[in-house]
Amino acid sequence: MNTISETRQKSLLYLENVSVSFDGFKALNSLSFVVEPGELRAIIGPNGAGKTTMMDIITGKTRPDTGTVLFEDAIDLTKKDEADIAQLGIGRKFQKPTVFESHTIWDNLELALNRDRSVFATLFYTLSPEDEARIEEILSTIRLSHRKDELAANLSHGQKQWLEIGMLLAQEPKLLLVDEPVAGMTDAETAETAELLKEIAKTRSVVVVEHDMGFIRELGVKVTCLAEGSVLAEGSIDFVSNDPKVIENYLGR
Amino acid sequence: MGPRSDPLPALNEVGERELRRRRQSFFRSQGFRRGGTFRPADRGEIMTLKSLLQAFLACLILSFAAPSFAQSDPKPLIDALAKADFNEAEKLLGQIAASGDARVVPALNAFAEGDLYFRKSDNLVFIAKTAGSGFELIDPLTGASAGQAAKNAVTKIKVNNNLRRVIRSAMGGLTLLSADRAVRLQAADAVLRSPSPENLDLVEAALAKETDKEVKARMEEARAVSVLSSDRSIDEKRGAIETIKNLGGRNSLGILNSVSGSIDAGLKGDLDAAIAAIESEQQLWDMAQNVWYGLSLGSVLLLAAIGLAITFGVMGIINMAHGEMVMLGAYSTFVVQDVIRDNAPNLFDWSLAIALPVAFLVTGAVGLVIERGVIRFLYGRPLETLLATWGVSLILQQTIRSIFGPTNQEVGNPSWMSGSFPVGGMTITWNRMWIILFSMSIFVALLVLLKKSAFGLNMRAVTQNRRMASSMGIKTPWVDAFTFALGSGIAGIAGVALSQIDNVSPNLGQSYIIDSFMVVVFGGVGNLWGTLVGALSLGVLNKFLEPSVGAVLGKILVLVLIILFIQKRPRGLFALKGRAVEA
Amino acid sequence: MISGFVFRALEGKIVVAIAILLVIAILVPALNLLTPPDSALHIPTYAVSLFGKYLCYALLALALDLVWGYCGILSLGHGAFFALGGYAMGMYLMRQIGSRGVYGNPVLPDFMVFLNWKELPWFWHGFDWFVFAMAMVLVVPGLLAFIFGWFAFRSRVNGVYLSIITQAMTYALLLAFFRNDMGFGGNNGLTDFKDILGFPVQADGTRAVLFAMSAIMLAFCLLIASAIVRSKFGKVLVGVRDAESRVRFLGFRVENIKLFTFVVSAMMAGIAGALFVPQVGIINPGEFAPANSIEVVVWTAVGGRGTLIGPIIGAVLVNAGKSFFTGAFPEIWLYALGGLFIAVTLFLPKGIVGTVQHGLKARKAMKAAVEAEKGRDEAAPVAQAQAAE
Repeated sequence: MNTISETRQKSLLYLENVSVSFDGFKALNSLSFVVEPGELRAIIGPNGAGKTTMMDIITGKTRPDTGTVLFEDAIDLTKKDEADIAQLGIGRKFQKPTVFESHTIWDNLELALNRDRSVFATLFYTLSPEDEARIEEILSTIRLSHRKDELAANLSHGQKQWLEIGMLLAQEPKLLLVDEPVAGMTDAETAETAELLKEIAKTRSVVVVEHDMGFIRELGVKVTCLAEGSVLAEGSIDFVSNDPKVIENYLGR
Repeated sequence: MGPRSDPLPALNEVGERELRRRRQSFFRSQGFRRGGTFRPADRGEIMTLKSLLQAFLACLILSFAAPSFAQSDPKPLIDALAKADFNEAEKLLGQIAASGDARVVPALNAFAEGDLYFRKSDNLVFIAKTAGSGFELIDPLTGASAGQAAKNAVTKIKVNNNLRRVIRSAMGGLTLLSADRAVRLQAADAVLRSPSPENLDLVEAALAKETDKEVKARMEEARAVSVLSSDRSIDEKRGAIETIKNLGGRNSLGILNSVSGSIDAGLKGDLDAAIAAIESEQQLWDMAQNVWYGLSLGSVLLLAAIGLAITFGVMGIINMAHGEMVMLGAYSTFVVQDVIRDNAPNLFDWSLAIALPVAFLVTGAVGLVIERGVIRFLYGRPLETLLATWGVSLILQQTIRSIFGPTNQEVGNPSWMSGSFPVGGMTITWNRMWIILFSMSIFVALLVLLKKSAFGLNMRAVTQNRRMASSMGIKTPWVDAFTFALGSGIAGIAGVALSQIDNVSPNLGQSYIIDSFMVVVFGGVGNLWGTLVGALSLGVLNKFLEPSVGAVLGKILVLVLIILFIQKRPRGLFALKGRAVEA
Repeated sequence: MISGFVFRALEGKIVVAIAILLVIAILVPALNLLTPPDSALHIPTYAVSLFGKYLCYALLALALDLVWGYCGILSLGHGAFFALGGYAMGMYLMRQIGSRGVYGNPVLPDFMVFLNWKELPWFWHGFDWFVFAMAMVLVVPGLLAFIFGWFAFRSRVNGVYLSIITQAMTYALLLAFFRNDMGFGGNNGLTDFKDILGFPVQADGTRAVLFAMSAIMLAFCLLIASAIVRSKFGKVLVGVRDAESRVRFLGFRVENIKLFTFVVSAMMAGIAGALFVPQVGIINPGEFAPANSIEVVVWTAVGGRGTLIGPIIGAVLVNAGKSFFTGAFPEIWLYALGGLFIAVTLFLPKGIVGTVQHGLKARKAMKAAVEAEKGRDEAAPVAQAQAAE
């Protein structure tokens, strides 16, 4: 008992026995999952393992049927909606890069900045010098400074992924959920993205969902393998990839 | 020809119900139990009475060869009517009836019609017929002509509604002893509808002789009704109340209510209990009638919406020209009937059956053209599709208006679509009945087509995973086109049915489009069963709201309820849940 | 803060448009009132009212564009807000008739006397007071939009579903206003107005002033719309249109954003309706007809949604076309309108203004791309250096 409550107290994100089903299909089956502050965690698993559903539940898009979802051991995320959760400090990158294509890259970042997001505050908002500096900083982090005035629609697929990560950074989250960040990227881009995520994880927790085993190896972090809605194995990449159940369910022989 | 409804179908339902009620009483008075033909012109009390009397007359002449009851000569009684006031006339009528002489029937008939006159010179009573500037006088008993008279030489014997009622019951009493079973049955009905104590002896005498079971039962009821207003013993009256209670229906309620003021205090309790029992039964029937009207409206909604359930529900196309497809179907019916009238009038009863494939092909073809010409460029842009198809709808409306003119076109009902029949305490019109059956069969046929046929399989494959279907060798563009054509064709078929109950004008479709979308959205997109349940429940809800808040407010309330409902369940009644799709 | 808000609005094209509207607001009435009728420059009064009507439609289209073009909410019920604003103005004008009505009742409008009503319904009180009536022009449509939007946006009714229920909303109001016992004149609506603020409605001078007011209000609303669109809020708005869930996951309350925009837009539509009624002299339930609301959509689409000038140009062009066709070839008009719906969606999805702007931007982008191509070679080593750190 003691260890469980200790785990909870230390955790940034705490999921216990979370289940959800859609029309009889159990997408999550008493899933338990803990992320500690400052941790970089990778999640793997076959299609339909519940990876995206888990992210939906953490970010308030889907309500679980049963189970506990706590943020910083105090905030019940099942009672909050997406905007609340985002404001609490959980950022999410979608599988398909989702940026504001008819805005410039600069505007995309400006919108993402962690400032008062109420209607009237945004109506009367003016860009302050420190906000400007912050955006410039992020632009250089995501290597898009030279294209800041272009429309986001003109970016390549990989650059859109980076812009989205940049937007998450501007949000200043405590926890970043990243869904398949390197899908459709070249090898060089993949390597750069791994660097970027490691950089980011220095100051906050990051959870990465990815299929690319090479990329996960490159991250070199603790891996959780999901299958059929619950955790199959957890540990280092070598430990998990040698687990017979994981091989059976996911990696194949 | 059924009544035409105005642009707000719901509004019209109230009028229609009133009409049905009248029809109902008409049928009863005619003694028609089922399948009688009905001409709207024959409405109204006087006409009813007249045809009743005429029917009796025909039978009487055949059956009453000899007077069989009391043998007093009615002639002086009839002549006495000349100087009688209303009260005296009522008494005289009682005596005339008691005479049991069937020869008085024409005189009574004439009296009720206001055709009974007396000659000023000798106070003799005659039946008068207009002849030139004066009257031809006819002997009231023999029917022989008694010569001409100037208009000012005779005076009309006044009649009022009370007297007409007395006449009616007298006639009933007179015919209760007929040898013809049908006449007796009608006579018992007549007594039942307007009971009087004077007839009681007659009824009982007839009852004693009666052998036919059905007629006997009817006469028992007639007796019970008459007993209540007579001075018989309390026990007898109690029995009568019981009999009337078992009879049920609006008329019984009227009879019981009419005697409730004059009834012995000891019977008050029984009477009230009987009234309450009939009322609650009546309420049940009213409820059933409301459900029926609701189902009927619901099936109309289903017809209008079912094509949309395919184009919108399955393909996701917002087709604002859907209503115009219905309209085109209705116009196809009109054209088919026009051709039949000119070339083969004897096929008219088949016109709807011929119009169905014609409408399906016409609207299906138009749908195909719309899909190939406009919609296929707009897949994945629902709002643009909405606008473009709205444009199509304007063009279709204007085209029809240019060809056929802006006014309503006359589409006839085949004989099997008109008339009605009673079920317990409610009346069911054939056209509504057929439309309900028709919409259900369309629904079933569509369900089978989608689930069982190869085309249905292709269609579901394309809507579920276009790229996969395409790589399996399915020609997705043609599946799209034919699915849309199918949805349009079904709208056209719906138009054939709706042409039977609604105005066929270029605006026909406009009045259905919002309702249809409401049905599909309410029922849940992509689910035919949802459309069925949605249509029927909205129809019934509408009909249940109508009596308390009126037709228009009822419709508004239904709209508001749907708007609120969509807030609660944005995907409708039968929405499929699923893993939330990203972005 | 406020000054920044307004200042941002005054970007090049908008300044020009506002200036043009203000010039029209002065010039047209002046040419109508000050030139002799036989002068070549004279604008007849009927034309002033007709143009005034177009300006009201333009304001309505602008209002719709704010929700549709910028926020992606295709409202098929904006005619309802327009009509409600119109009814609020109509009620004021009815009360101004006083005892000059056919029945001469000093308090009750004619139709109420006709229906044998004994006293004014509660919701008619206060409408004899101009300021109150004008407040209602904003409050009533705004309130309806608020209630409707509060429910709809909170439960995330989206896309075509929203369009369909907005249509149902205006349809329900159409049915309601047709009823005599609603107390808004039933089928006939409100008409036979006498004067506004003491000036006869029919007089040339009044009409000229109403025209000027229409132009000024349009300019004012254009300024407001521009300020909204160019603020950070406006950028969020476009974000909602293009990627709603991204906005949500960035922590914005999308329902509040939509609600605010919807209410502002409904109020603008209400203003348009209020200016429309005294110029055409009647308001009846027909204004609630769903077809009217959809027509507004085509004006906006023709001019160019997602631009501020587009809907104004679209509304004026389409309505001028309508006036011409319904006069010259009434048969053709519905074909033309229907064809316009199809043609615009198929061939001109950005509308006139949008297409022109897009053309200009594309040329600019081409130049920028060429520049960027040159710049990239210089920037690339820097990026690599950063990555290596």
